[in-house]
Amino acid sequence: MENRAYFRTVWLGIALVVPQALLVLTFFYWPTGAALFWAFTLEQPWGGGSQFVGFDNFVAIFEDSYYWSSVVRSLIFAVAASLLAMGIALTMALFCDRQLRGYAYYRTALVWPFAVAAPAAAVAFRYVFAPEAGVFSALNQIYPNLWNPAMNGNHAMIMIIIAYAWKYVAYNFIFFLAGLQAIPRALVEAGAIDGAGVLRRMRDIQLPLLTPTFFFLLVINLTDSFVDSFGIIDITTEGGPAKATTLMVYKIYFDGFKGLDYSGAAAQSIVLMLLVIGLTVVQFRYVERKIHYK
Amino acid sequence: MIERTPILNVATHLILVVGLAIAFVPMWLVFVAASLTIQEINTPPISLIPGNQLLVNLAEAWNRAGLGDKLLNSLFVAVMVASGKIFIASLTAFAIVFFRFPGRMLVFWMIFVTLMLPLEVRIVPTYAVAANALAPAQAVLEITGIAWLWRMLTGVELALEWNLLNSYTGLVLPLVATATGTFLFRQFYLTIPAEIVEAARMDGAGPLRFLRDMLIPLSKTNMAALFTIMFIYAWNQYLWPILVTTDRVNYGTAVMELKRLIPTAAATGGGTPDWNVAMAGCLIVMLPPLVVVALMQRYFVRGLIGADK
Amino acid sequence: MKILRRAALALAVTSLLGAATDASAQQRIKFELWQGLTGDLGERVNDVCKRFNDSQKEFEIVCISQGSYDEAVQNSIAAFRAKKQPTIVQVFDAGTADLMLSGAFYPAKRLMADHGHTVDWDRYIKGVANYYATSKGELYSFPFNSSTALFYWNKDAFAKIGKIEAPKTWEEVETVSRQLKAAGYACPFAFEYDTWQIMEQFSAIHGQPIATKGNGYEGLDAELVFNKTRFVDYVKFLKKGYDEGIFAIKVKETGATIGEAFGAGDCQMTQMSVASHGTIGKIAKPGMNWDVAMLPVFAGTQRVNSLVGGASLWALSGKSKDEYRGAAAFFNFIALPESEEYFSTVTGYIPVTNPGFKAMMDKGFYNAAPFKGREIALAQLTASEPTPVSRGIRLGGFIQIRKETRDALQLIFANRVGVEAGLDQAVERGNTILRRFEKTYAGKQLP
Repeated sequence: MENRAYFRTVWLGIALVVPQALLVLTFFYWPTGAALFWAFTLEQPWGGGSQFVGFDNFVAIFEDSYYWSSVVRSLIFAVAASLLAMGIALTMALFCDRQLRGYAYYRTALVWPFAVAAPAAAVAFRYVFAPEAGVFSALNQIYPNLWNPAMNGNHAMIMIIIAYAWKYVAYNFIFFLAGLQAIPRALVEAGAIDGAGVLRRMRDIQLPLLTPTFFFLLVINLTDSFVDSFGIIDITTEGGPAKATTLMVYKIYFDGFKGLDYSGAAAQSIVLMLLVIGLTVVQFRYVERKIHYK
Repeated sequence: MIERTPILNVATHLILVVGLAIAFVPMWLVFVAASLTIQEINTPPISLIPGNQLLVNLAEAWNRAGLGDKLLNSLFVAVMVASGKIFIASLTAFAIVFFRFPGRMLVFWMIFVTLMLPLEVRIVPTYAVAANALAPAQAVLEITGIAWLWRMLTGVELALEWNLLNSYTGLVLPLVATATGTFLFRQFYLTIPAEIVEAARMDGAGPLRFLRDMLIPLSKTNMAALFTIMFIYAWNQYLWPILVTTDRVNYGTAVMELKRLIPTAAATGGGTPDWNVAMAGCLIVMLPPLVVVALMQRYFVRGLIGADK
Repeated sequence: MKILRRAALALAVTSLLGAATDASAQQRIKFELWQGLTGDLGERVNDVCKRFNDSQKEFEIVCISQGSYDEAVQNSIAAFRAKKQPTIVQVFDAGTADLMLSGAFYPAKRLMADHGHTVDWDRYIKGVANYYATSKGELYSFPFNSSTALFYWNKDAFAKIGKIEAPKTWEEVETVSRQLKAAGYACPFAFEYDTWQIMEQFSAIHGQPIATKGNGYEGLDAELVFNKTRFVDYVKFLKKGYDEGIFAIKVKETGATIGEAFGAGDCQMTQMSVASHGTIGKIAKPGMNWDVAMLPVFAGTQRVNSLVGGASLWALSGKSKDEYRGAAAFFNFIALPESEEYFSTVTGYIPVTNPGFKAMMDKGFYNAAPFKGREIALAQLTASEPTPVSRGIRLGGFIQIRKETRDALQLIFANRVGVEAGLDQAVERGNTILRRFEKTYAGKQLP
């Protein structure tokens, strides 16, 4: 991409990035710096003072087995929710793109959950998955405790994954469908003339050409699932039962803002930040290669 | 393309109908809940057929949360966030892709990293910044000694202050300070064939004219897509608005009022579980983003298809 | 762009309106109160503020709900650090220790004395005041919305098994539950993991400590001990009933909270806050007969007073003289007997002063529905003189400790861990939190 630098007016280039750079410095790096500072101190919540404690906060969280289980759960959640949302969205997009009768209706109907506020979606799923009231009540009457996210941590995890993925299906669908429609019709038609069936064309032509979209979405989905799951968890399970759905971001929120342990929460957010940055860098490099060298 | 694949067509419809069910069932339940009385909603099993209280509950939610003003506030904030984002992101991406200047990649990574750290984990320090957005600038002046120099020269204490609490600026700016759009525009600009840029340069077009005459027209669909995304993102915010607006009467947004409609049954609080009203409020608050998606989608998707034909 | 223009227009209109309101209220001194209640109860607090504004011309209090108790504390901290704090904030029981050590407040007693109000501090009901007072008994904040947990029972269901009285001991609860089950009731007794109801009330009433050092009042080096008290027996008792199928867990994640399940007539007994008394009245199935009673004790136990729940009002430091005058006037106003009666009428909360309670008793406030029964909360709160373990809980990081205990209870009832092992673990983790808190406030002492 180095040979893309076409304009050599240096001052203009700089001037163009200044607005965003200033915003990001003020509203992102300055506060993040403050959080970093807290991670190495014991901070009194009401601002009465703080003392430097070195890596004590990090040692405390790394020695805490509950912290490690929140890391594992976050990873499970990230992978499961991303794959679920992207898998369903990709399937829907591929079949929707066949443009059979009713295409426009399907398209419209599959897109709108994207606009629903996370709290609203979470509330809806609380009803849907309630063991005694929702769709599972009939099953539960026959087999008690067949489904009970209030008692069973695995059920709770499944619930938040589905509630979270629900919204992201629509999000991914939009991008996949756009990606599919950006594929020149001529290519697909050429495949048809060569005698490739619908499914074969999906596999051999459309899917490979969707790779850049796929990786773009994977980056977004994974990072979002680390940080954006908060609203869903807060409304459906509050991290329970017995911490079964306490993902990293929820633990940070709880320890910091409910538990008033700012320093512990700051240390945790530094770890989360490093983790997500690491993942993204790996993926990003991979995406770059896919796009430019393949 | 006409192919005869009757079995596959049936399968296609089946798959898509399952998709529809996934999308609609949860929201149908919200709708039903919003149309029940408080007794009905607290009597399991949950009804699947709407009751007759929808209008009553809608009116109650509207009045209790003062949704009229709040919807206008939300609308303004969402439009400002979306427009501000498009403006800033397209400029930044333009500079990063089409210019070479020292620190170009540094700026790119600096902005890109912001994708990764949610507002939640740095909310308290961010709030402190909102209380005085010039605090970082002040600190820079102090550290570099400019503040000291100023005091020496003028005898006046240099104290920069710009309070963003309880203001539209405070609601909007921190939401604009992320990387979402920059990343999107950069990806798009990278796909612009070198020939187009070469051609523009041959014609003697400067960078700004290239931006205006070539890039912006080409980016229309991207801008529309970004507008939709950012509008909804901004509209659906609730943690940040709750913190930055303590003056809810004048600056409250719709979604934060929704959160207030949701009864929290803390052990010592124990509000009335009037979920029917909360659900009705939910419907009202959900509606504007849905309208935007419905309106923008036509433009958005047709634009994409149109580019292909 | 049309949207944009209209929004801009709307903005102009709103700011004009805003300016107009400002102008008319200019002569009054404005100050803010941030409260943690929402929904119906939040509205009732706003009504109290409105009554204060209507009662005089000098001050105007602006009451703003922050969404929840947690958020009221959390937002006040953020605001305090940014020097934008309200004059008064409502802080719930569990946030008390942090605030006491912060030095970020104007002590109630001094505030009133500085502004010429004479307050008879003995008016406050001891069981209420001690929860918020220092170990020496001085009030730093004003008790405001106060409640305690009560036993709720369904009279219709009891009539079916030939009973007309609420159980007085937990042993009776067990017997009655079995009879109700036999009579076809699926959920005789419902409970939830809430430690305020299960652990804190139980321990106080049975005279059992939660932590050493008088539940933390005597020093930051207190240690949790609830894994060694009769609380363990109580959890075992609940677990046994749960396993037998006569006790059920009702939390919002299962679709209905204990209050909703009781109100719907699905569960026949439960324990919850007196603040829910009004709520149950509203959501109860039409025609359902129900009542409240004191929380049961284990047979042969000498009853001690129960713990108060709810929140108190703190004046934060760093505000102007005028704002403090206003705050003092407001505190004075809410302590008036008629203010107390008003607030208790529109909510389930109990009065916090002896004269207030007496005035309401004399007027016959508690003689008839829907208020009948709420006086039992007072009787339970004043069942004995507060003892070192029943005056309250003064532990740092108590919000996290409650969470750890709640998590342990969830594991215990899901059969993932035994009762003793689960509670031992909660105590161990809780003590880590206490030590961390002690270190954060190194060199400081609880007043």
